[in-house]
Amino acid sequence: MSIQNKNLTVGNVMLPINDFPVVSQSTILKEALEKMDSIGLGIACIVGENKELLGVITDGDIRRKMLSIQKPLAAFFIDDTINQAIKSPIVVSSDTSLADAVKLMEEKLIWDVPVVDKDTLVGLLHLHAAIKVLLSPDFISN
Amino acid sequence: MNIKKITIGYDKVKKVEVGAGLPLAFFGGPCAIESKDHAFFMAEAIGRVCEKLDIPWVYKSCYDKDCRSAPDSFHGTGIDDGLQILSDVRDEFGIPVVSDFSDAAWAKETGEVCDMVQVPAYLCRQTSILRAAAQTGRPIHLKKGQYMSPWNMKNSVRKLESHGCDQIILADRGTFLGYGALVNDMTSFPIMQKTGYPVCFDATHSIQLPTSMGNISGGQREFIPYLVRAAVGCGINALFMETHNNPKAALSDANTVLDLKYLENVLHQAKIMHETRLELLDKFGEDNVHPE
Repeated sequence: MSIQNKNLTVGNVMLPINDFPVVSQSTILKEALEKMDSIGLGIACIVGENKELLGVITDGDIRRKMLSIQKPLAAFFIDDTINQAIKSPIVVSSDTSLADAVKLMEEKLIWDVPVVDKDTLVGLLHLHAAIKVLLSPDFISN
Repeated sequence: MNIKKITIGYDKVKKVEVGAGLPLAFFGGPCAIESKDHAFFMAEAIGRVCEKLDIPWVYKSCYDKDCRSAPDSFHGTGIDDGLQILSDVRDEFGIPVVSDFSDAAWAKETGEVCDMVQVPAYLCRQTSILRAAAQTGRPIHLKKGQYMSPWNMKNSVRKLESHGCDQIILADRGTFLGYGALVNDMTSFPIMQKTGYPVCFDATHSIQLPTSMGNISGGQREFIPYLVRAAVGCGINALFMETHNNPKAALSDANTVLDLKYLENVLHQAKIMHETRLELLDKFGEDNVHPE
């Protein structure tokens, strides 16, 4: 079985900007977590005024922070999300091939990659969505 | 840590800057305005000490003590007479002044006279009070409520900011430990500085024993120097102490105000501690042994 994905790009598969958690740099962590929970994704992207990506925070980051920084939960909740975020996250552009992007996610052991074109956040590649497309009959040959 | 510089003083008074790397500022005076003569006496006496030690300072005294325990305790001169006296102190001594206000309706007049406006600790999360404070356009001295966590003060800061205020100094005046006792959590200073604003230690209210005397508060002012040294060592940007030439006769907070005769001693130690801390920062860098 092989996946015929040569022409498929990240832009074809990524979640559009309103379909994943995006917060501003003044959003407190509690509100970011609520947004992640309501949308059902374990990542939030923090953007500036011009939608430039400033950082990301994931469920795993929060778990690691809670184990490392043992301050009260209320103190975490009131932190600006950006203060707890990964400031230089791995990103891809929308014209990256889906195969390359998935390979990158596998190498880095990550489920989500922000999609950035010309310094602007344009989408999010989520591994489930990518797998769903890649495993569809149109892209699989025996 | 990136901390905003706050400038206190308008028109011709000697401006006081509060912020990272700057000299320790002092906010002090009698708790309540007692009379014009007494205010002038105190301003002159404190000014002499601060000039000798080269400490920038703001004269603090309040016209209405709305949180007194007993109904017949001295309540204050009232807003009109009190603000006139504070205005006279400004004119006579060329120093900035600060008073608190306990009713949103008093904020505008307070801000028209005072170089800085103080939000009382008990009222530090009242939206109407914070809105009124912000609308004065003056720097705000925001006391942390005794019932508030230091991180929770960010909500009050956000309320001030939402009404256009970006000149804020956060103060710790102790935190309730059960009934009738306060403790100082020295981690409150770096935590509150994370809001991006400078912090102040209110030493004389921190040693208060709230309502321990039945219908008035007691205090243990013997601990003032200990707490001052600790707080300055933890990186405060300003020090607040109420002081009186005759504490037993003080019309407000008689059990907590620092006797004027000890002011120079305590301020001198605070200044040395502060300068030592700045030297340590230069030599060893920021305290950052466990980055988040």
